[in-house]
Amino acid sequence: MELLKNPGSFRDPSGQVYKYNNRIIRIVKKFGKNRYEFIKEQNLIKESIDSDFLINTEEIEDEFTNFKSKDFCYFLEHEKLDYISYPYEWGFQQLKDAALHHLNFQIFLLERNAILIDSSAFNIQFKNNKPIFIDVLSIDKYVEGEYWKGHSQFLQQFLNPLLLRSLKGISFNDWYKGNLDGIKTTELNSLLNLKDKLSFNVFFSVVLLSKLEMKNTRNPKAALKKINEKKPLSKNSYRGLLIQLKNWIKKLTPLKTKTEWDSYSISNTYEKEQENKKIQVIKKFSNKIKPNLMADIGCNDGLYSFESLKAGCKKAVGFDIDINAIDRAYKNSLENNFNFLPLYFNATNPSAKLGWYEKERESFIDRLNFDAVIALAFEHHLALGQNIPLEDTVSWIMKIAKNGLIEYVEKTDETVKRMLSLKGDIFPNYNQNNFEKNILLNGKIVDKTIISKTRVIYEFETN
Amino acid sequence: MNKILIITFFFTFLLNNKAFAYLDPGTGSIILQSILGAIAAGASYCAIYWKKIKNFFNKNLRKKDNKD
Repeated sequence: MELLKNPGSFRDPSGQVYKYNNRIIRIVKKFGKNRYEFIKEQNLIKESIDSDFLINTEEIEDEFTNFKSKDFCYFLEHEKLDYISYPYEWGFQQLKDAALHHLNFQIFLLERNAILIDSSAFNIQFKNNKPIFIDVLSIDKYVEGEYWKGHSQFLQQFLNPLLLRSLKGISFNDWYKGNLDGIKTTELNSLLNLKDKLSFNVFFSVVLLSKLEMKNTRNPKAALKKINEKKPLSKNSYRGLLIQLKNWIKKLTPLKTKTEWDSYSISNTYEKEQENKKIQVIKKFSNKIKPNLMADIGCNDGLYSFESLKAGCKKAVGFDIDINAIDRAYKNSLENNFNFLPLYFNATNPSAKLGWYEKERESFIDRLNFDAVIALAFEHHLALGQNIPLEDTVSWIMKIAKNGLIEYVEKTDETVKRMLSLKGDIFPNYNQNNFEKNILLNGKIVDKTIISKTRVIYEFETN
Repeated sequence: MNKILIITFFFTFLLNNKAFAYLDPGTGSIILQSILGAIAAGASYCAIYWKKIKNFFNKNLRKKDNKD
């Protein structure tokens, strides 16, 4: 069996993550030996796991002796998560919870004379709907007087994206996807008006920092001299910085913006009866397949995933283009304790391979790990709304998992009529007959349920 | 000789640029941390004293209440 290096794990010379027989192994290298031994001696791994900060991590002693070398000192095994998500796919509340998780973890560590050496938002994942820290080698010994090394990174990767939405009502996701370092303080500052800048917190963490950064770029030598003359930062000040940020972030809310889908599940054209029929189909399907991990494409506020989870599905990941729907879905799943992770997703421009060597962050297709998929009230938005050919729409959905449900919507449906009212009908091949043919090209039709005169749910199984 | 000088100049220029580019994002942050850190530490001291003052009055008021 071979150790396969994770292409996203290379920045820290103290250790890297490898895949080994579908297990996640972190190798501590010579450079990180002292750091790891400190973490281990202080019992920080166990304490952090017990306090729900760190992902389950265990040192493996005997199994990897063949791989041990001068450079490969320790082998740690991490609990494997079902689905890896990235900050640019999270909603506001998810990024906010991840930010608070990072700060709380740092406060927890500081009490034990340790710190986190960086503030990468990619070091946080969601497990059972809760944020969890995954990079154990980011923990290091606190040295009295030191400054918070990850401060600037924290602002770019957590605070600034949240402020963009909170102050300006602009969602951070597409911007973040374009720059994996997050949102630069100088860029955010350019968007702010006088009213925004009058807040104490915004003034210091955005306006002043932006001015300092600009000044230092122009005269780096003077900046370096100034820093060398700076007094050490006391532990109280370090903790104070973390607490001040935590109290501020806790209060942040998204600026109210209404999106197209805000009232979708409340005022759409379905009758309650049709919705109940759909729920029955989902329950039957979930009970039969019992998916370990299901994808819900166009999940809206998560209703159908929740029904599936109640009926036999173990975990579900929801995808939706509407950022407000993602926020609502996350809130609903937290309140009801559902194992459901909603993510921002644009099917016509899904997360691609990004970062260094185009391998650092995986694409949507690379991460497909689902044994079931549901796509209800979705295909017509691709085939008719986005002009994706019907055959591509169907084959794309069927690629997501072996078993699934797709709802077909006729052109005579009220929603479709509205969609085509200005655009005109430029889709001569869009009909139920062709829809069925396309399913049969990729697999078989297991079941077919008529929901209304214009809507049918197909259960498929791929070849 | 000239070649070596050009190469040395080129690399010095490049490396300097790199060092500045790497250093820069942190310099503003460190200056800001020293300002905010002092304010935050001051605020936590104030909070401790405020608590002490509150406790002092609460205690005295309670004593007074008990006497009443």
